[in-house]
Amino acid sequence: MKNRLVVMILTAATVSSLMACGGGDGDAASGGAEGTGVSITIFNSKSEVQGQFEEMAEEYSAKTGVNVEVYYSNDTVAAHLATRYSANDPYTLAMVDAKDIYSLAEDYASDLSDQEWVDKTDYEISVNDKVVGFPVCVEARGVIYNADAIEAVTGETFVPEDYTTLDAFEGLLEKLAAGGMEAPAGIMKEDWSLAAHYLAETYEQQSDVEGFISDLYAGSADLAGNEKWNSMMDTFDVLMKYNYAASSPVAAEREVTEQKLAEGDIAFMFGGNWDWSVISEYDYTENMGMMPVPQNTNDGTNGKLVGGGSKYFFIDSSDNTSEEQRQAAKDFLNWLVQDGEGNQFLTEKCNLVPAYTNISAAALDPLSVSVKKYADGNLLIDNYNYLPDDHLSVCGAFMQEYLAGKTDRTALAEKVAQYWMAATPIEH
Amino acid sequence: MKTNTFSYKCRLYLMFAGVSTAVFAAVVIIPFIYGLYLTFTSWDGVSKQKPFVALQNYMATFADTAYWQALGRTMIYSVIAVILVNVVAFILAYMVTSGVKGQNFFRAGFFIPNLIGGIVLGYIWKFVFNRAFVALGESFSIGFLSTSWLATTNGAMLCLIIVSVWQYAGYMMLIYVAGFMSVSSDVLEAASIDGCTDVQTIWYISVPLMVSSFVQCLFLTITRCFMVYDVNLSLTNGEPFNSSVMGAMHVYNQAFTYKNYGTGQAEALILFIICAVVGVLQVYVGKKAEVSA
Repeated sequence: MKNRLVVMILTAATVSSLMACGGGDGDAASGGAEGTGVSITIFNSKSEVQGQFEEMAEEYSAKTGVNVEVYYSNDTVAAHLATRYSANDPYTLAMVDAKDIYSLAEDYASDLSDQEWVDKTDYEISVNDKVVGFPVCVEARGVIYNADAIEAVTGETFVPEDYTTLDAFEGLLEKLAAGGMEAPAGIMKEDWSLAAHYLAETYEQQSDVEGFISDLYAGSADLAGNEKWNSMMDTFDVLMKYNYAASSPVAAEREVTEQKLAEGDIAFMFGGNWDWSVISEYDYTENMGMMPVPQNTNDGTNGKLVGGGSKYFFIDSSDNTSEEQRQAAKDFLNWLVQDGEGNQFLTEKCNLVPAYTNISAAALDPLSVSVKKYADGNLLIDNYNYLPDDHLSVCGAFMQEYLAGKTDRTALAEKVAQYWMAATPIEH
Repeated sequence: MKTNTFSYKCRLYLMFAGVSTAVFAAVVIIPFIYGLYLTFTSWDGVSKQKPFVALQNYMATFADTAYWQALGRTMIYSVIAVILVNVVAFILAYMVTSGVKGQNFFRAGFFIPNLIGGIVLGYIWKFVFNRAFVALGESFSIGFLSTSWLATTNGAMLCLIIVSVWQYAGYMMLIYVAGFMSVSSDVLEAASIDGCTDVQTIWYISVPLMVSSFVQCLFLTITRCFMVYDVNLSLTNGEPFNSSVMGAMHVYNQAFTYKNYGTGQAEALILFIICAVVGVLQVYVGKKAEVSA
């Protein structure tokens, strides 16, 4: 009998410890809310500013009495949020990509149309005529250059505006190669860079983007004969020719390429202002910037970067979030836009290009300075936010094959066209 | 107390296995059944609606050529990796039970790779293949080393296999070591008195007596190879050109990245069935081959 008692006690102990494991998760965020007694959770999906966000949360909590907890996940944004929603434990405020807003808004996003910041930005996202997405920053894509590296070879001041055409650009690459910089260009082999950023520009630079994409879905677009496609691929061919990793282009690691660019071993790389977070890890020069992808065209696209609002906050509208929490989240967004400290946090601490007209930004990194210049001059071509979810992976593989010299341009166009005909359109 | 009643047996079962049954049901059985239900919906993974679509996901699965390619690739990878892991593990086990000096140290050394998580291991080997080998190849002008193996289709598969062998061989070695130790010294002595050579002793005495080790090792390696994901993710991430995407990775992409949760779940189910059939068949055949001394 005594043994049985021991077994029962042990069993009870095991069960209770298991239950403790299960319950522990929910408590983590609710502790320590003094002041107003309101706690909000923020999901940050920009890994490079997680430290800044945590610091800010502490200061913001101390100042306002609203307890703020910041989370980050390595997982895909959509997959991570899906887990949290399945667990009925969503974030009050979640920072997601534009395409995630469209899939989440209908069920889970609060209407923010009445917020003051809506009038101060051109980049907000609306779904069903309601503003639901708060743009966090402006990001853009183009060719990143290292002016110091170029000037060291040519001996002349580098003026990016002189190299908007492919002919001029190729001339410069030739000159650099002749001057001792054997391979002045770098290409990132990552599928997101090749497909979601470079290939996407061939759609985004079309005069009628929506029309072109629906033609692609319908199979009636002649991609191989398309002027923009050929123009962008001409430039890609030149970059490939001068690629420092030309012998094994799909083995080039992003960090190595960016290090070479930062330290002036190469002079050009297609990328975006987010690349600064990698470049700044190395022995970089401040004399860098971004320029449009050079093309032999006179439609003006070679004078513009492609980009716009990037990363959006939405406020959870489900029953898991209380009205007080929603209000606190709205106050937080207003603080970012309206309050001097909030502005400073965005532009100085996180080094983000502001998406709001009332925020000035003086202390940005060199790439962001370029982006802001183009954004202020209205020289940004809009992002196309409705690429199908598998576009990046499937077309990224096609682009990698092309980069590795396994397919030619006609075959690539054929494959991309085939992909679009089989793809499921994103409703928007 | 009556010990032959139904209620007594129930209580006895609950007392000893109740907790584990509850946990097993909560983390395996219930999700499995729920997953089965999701294969009949076109859920995207996050929305509140789960529209019922009957067998559409299964039709999509059969039409998904990338999935079947990934499965075929997984088969090839598994066959080669399983054979190599077991051969290497068996040889290692023989060496560390043959009485060499410091054999405990070697056992620990060979086992250590298994203690490193697959993700970390993938990153370490990525560095080795991409940088270390290439640097070696360039400085000594060794042609086949001077470009990264990870950049070619076959090379990436080869890298995956090498890393898997390195990772699992030590673990399987331990099981084979236990097998070797369980062979009684009487029969080994008898064999040597009868004039068996070392190879004959292994082949005719040790191997038949340690079939259960083979069954276990094969089962473990087959299931692990079929389900490989972590090394696949960190070492190649499907590159180059999605040519090293294994079954599990395709399922994950389908469900979470492409947001076709139902189709992903249906594909996972097929992967599970293949795994289960191969695993059970192998155990059944293996058990029949077991002998006792």
